[in-house]
Amino acid sequence: MERARNGDQLAFAELFRRHSAQVFRLAVSILGREFIPEAEDVTQDVFLKAHRAIRSFRGDAEFSSWIYRIAFNQAMNVKARVRFRSPHTDEAVLSQAVTLEPGPDRQVETAQRDHALTECIRTLPEVYQSALRLYYWLGAGVDEAAVLLGVPENTVKSYLHRARQLLHGMLKEKGYSCD
Amino acid sequence: MTEMEPREAGIDHLLRRSMAAPVPSLPPNFDQRLMGQLRQRSPVLNRYGLILLTGYGLISAVTSAVVMRGQGLGWGAIAVMILGPLALVATVPWAWRASGTITRRHAR
Repeated sequence: MERARNGDQLAFAELFRRHSAQVFRLAVSILGREFIPEAEDVTQDVFLKAHRAIRSFRGDAEFSSWIYRIAFNQAMNVKARVRFRSPHTDEAVLSQAVTLEPGPDRQVETAQRDHALTECIRTLPEVYQSALRLYYWLGAGVDEAAVLLGVPENTVKSYLHRARQLLHGMLKEKGYSCD
Repeated sequence: MTEMEPREAGIDHLLRRSMAAPVPSLPPNFDQRLMGQLRQRSPVLNRYGLILLTGYGLISAVTSAVVMRGQGLGWGAIAVMILGPLALVATVPWAWRASGTITRRHAR
């Protein structure tokens, strides 16, 4: 860390090697699977920003917490910009691609419910969406999600619990069964 | 696994199935791309060089202003002739960065 602060490129490359995958996962969890190229851009911009600002990093917090905070803010800014742009891949199409239910009727029904679920997820608060994607899509444990989102583990559990409750209610309202 | 109420189990199952998709990862050449960008942006000057260059710039600007004033030019024209090229030079890094972003997108 000290070497990276003194401008050692190799030391910074090592920090990048250690944290880039996690920064990318966090960016993807915020932007969703329709905007993976943007998540790559976010990852790159985060490390360029960190490289510029590393001298001002006082070391009070962990480097990882610092860089995840930059990543979170950067991804949120990008999400606000790309919100109205058409996605590279529709999330619902990706959901349908992994549908393994037998029978065409059942497949249509499942696809419709998945589409509705995707739409409902988009209306949730950003941190709930991110927690859901980290946990259910990216396979992160509660501990990893807590580190990436910069909150205690119990808060992540509460995000997931609240998100599930809200989604259950929303789907029921739309006439879909969750059982 | 988080603690779950029985009625949450259904939505949990639904989420697991609906969100099952390949997990993306960074492209293999990503670190080389980033380190290339970093090298481009690394500060070329150290602290001593920066002070020297700033001093040189200031002295040149003052000398030029005095000489141009001696030739009868107005302060407006002198300001434009000194600050114009400076503004032009200042926009180059910005234009460089913007073209880099465009190239990055096209490279994909």
